[in-house]
Amino acid sequence: MISIHQLYKTYHRGSESVEAVSGIDLEIIKGEFMVILGPSGGGKSTLLNLIGGIDHPTAGTITMNGFALETASEESLTRFRRDHIGFVFQFYNLLSSLNAIENVSMPLMAKGIAFKQAKAKAVQILTRIGLEKRLHHRPSELSGGEQQRVAIARSIISEPELILADEPTGDLDSLNAQAIIALMHELNKQMGLTFVVATHNLRLAENADRVVELRDGKIQPNHIDKTK
Amino acid sequence: MEKSNPTTLTKLSDVFRFVIKDLISDGWRSLLTIISLAVVVVGYLLLASLAQAFVILTRQAQVTNNLLIVSTNTIDPMDSSLGDAVLQTAMEITPDQIQHAFPIIFRHLTIDGRIMQVRAVPLEEMPTALALTLIQGYWPDGPRQVVVSEGAAQQASWKIGSIVNIYGTNFLVTGLVRSTENAFGSLWMTYTEGQHLFGTAHGFQVGCLVLVSTANPESVRLKLLADPRISADYSVYLENVFTNDYNQSNTNLLILSGLMVLVSLLAITFGIYNATSLSLTERSFEIGTLRVIGFPLSKLRGFLFARALVLTLAAYSLGWVVSFIFINHQRTQASVDLIFLTLRLTAYSSFIGLGLAVIFAFLGVWLTSGRLAGLNPLNGSK
Repeated sequence: MISIHQLYKTYHRGSESVEAVSGIDLEIIKGEFMVILGPSGGGKSTLLNLIGGIDHPTAGTITMNGFALETASEESLTRFRRDHIGFVFQFYNLLSSLNAIENVSMPLMAKGIAFKQAKAKAVQILTRIGLEKRLHHRPSELSGGEQQRVAIARSIISEPELILADEPTGDLDSLNAQAIIALMHELNKQMGLTFVVATHNLRLAENADRVVELRDGKIQPNHIDKTK
Repeated sequence: MEKSNPTTLTKLSDVFRFVIKDLISDGWRSLLTIISLAVVVVGYLLLASLAQAFVILTRQAQVTNNLLIVSTNTIDPMDSSLGDAVLQTAMEITPDQIQHAFPIIFRHLTIDGRIMQVRAVPLEEMPTALALTLIQGYWPDGPRQVVVSEGAAQQASWKIGSIVNIYGTNFLVTGLVRSTENAFGSLWMTYTEGQHLFGTAHGFQVGCLVLVSTANPESVRLKLLADPRISADYSVYLENVFTNDYNQSNTNLLILSGLMVLVSLLAITFGIYNATSLSLTERSFEIGTLRVIGFPLSKLRGFLFARALVLTLAAYSLGWVVSFIFINHQRTQASVDLIFLTLRLTAYSSFIGLGLAVIFAFLGVWLTSGRLAGLNPLNGSK
């Protein structure tokens, strides 16, 4: 599904250069639940941003279903993300002035679907993940766990092939974190969604199909692959 | 999920739904933006109504080919005193240049609490030599009748059939006219009526010399002034000098008003620019998130334009209501000497202003949209 070859990302800060991602080769298989494990500053978020087309690599290639992300224009990447990728962030990234239904509807509205139609599907998904009583609540009226559920609902509403989650449990207590992990696994199994999750939380890695350790921008050789 | 194409109305409805939600969530800041823009709109509408008043003035003044004789060393024509002999003398000096001459009785009087000019002239000269245009009613055809200028009628709320007390005598308003000189604050009666009203002791105040069409007014004026029978006691003026000066100053005022109108509306550009720019700065994170989940720049730009449109429409409506109340219920008028300017809120200025306000608001958004392109999706991935 996703093929990454000799990927590099270098940031320049004044006279300093920081190689956030250094020579990564990785294949991501459709339907798998992959965890990218590593300490803060190891390059996990950078790798996720590159896979998601939010950032451009300094060198190397990223190809998803034949689409080369590294050479695509900004608007092409925006369309590609809209159609193929869902995102889940550590701090939920919900729009504060919109309620749960409206937040979840956003990806469909980005595709040009009318709000009425998008709303119907948003309600369906929110109900499925247990938020039927929180449909009209704004983020400030939701708990951390509920906000992250809304964010997950938003990430899947447009039926993407890939979900990229960057520290999805980083801002949650252990109980909520477990619930979110369980939800993601459930969606992976039931909907066949490919998950790539960046985290330093070992619990997330427990039931993953594959665990890749990233340290100093490089994949460590001791990764776990349960698919084999 | 199959994507069914929403209609344009549905798309617009969705956009404005979220725009209004966004503005409401901004609360006081949206309200303050609307109020500040409304202040600009009030300024524009007041200036535009002033400009409209000047348009009426410039429309009315026409150039004539007459010379005017008054007593020398008089500042106010009312202080001049002439007899028939001076008109005879003028015609003797330039017999081929002057078609005919007639007297004008002239007074400044307080009528209905307003200072107005009253002129008594031969009836046949009203539509001809004086180029008065009757726009309503009829010329005076009986005793104690007057025609009044448009402006005087507006200011004093006179209409055909109104009774006006002039110098202690009631006169009937028979017609409304558009005049060559002062467009406002003027009344005309027949010469005979003027003599009855003011008496004949002071003669008449202004002699009007109507020149033949081929005559050069300046040459005739100089010829008359070269004769001691005229120059000793009288002054001769080109009537169109006054009219030209009057036209030019009105035109200058009109141009100035027009410029001030544009400048006032331009302030809307900066108001919207500031409001949008601030919004983008505060929402760079949210905008980045929207870019991450797939909103193209064009949709985000469209949202900003829609937001500016709603702000502008709300501000314009509020400003218009305030201006309407001020102009119509207060019946504001400005006065320059005898020239009364009635401020009026016309449909023309209202709709032109609305159109320009929207254009300038969009300009404000466009100026900000460069920043929008620079807001990286990375902002939304943090």
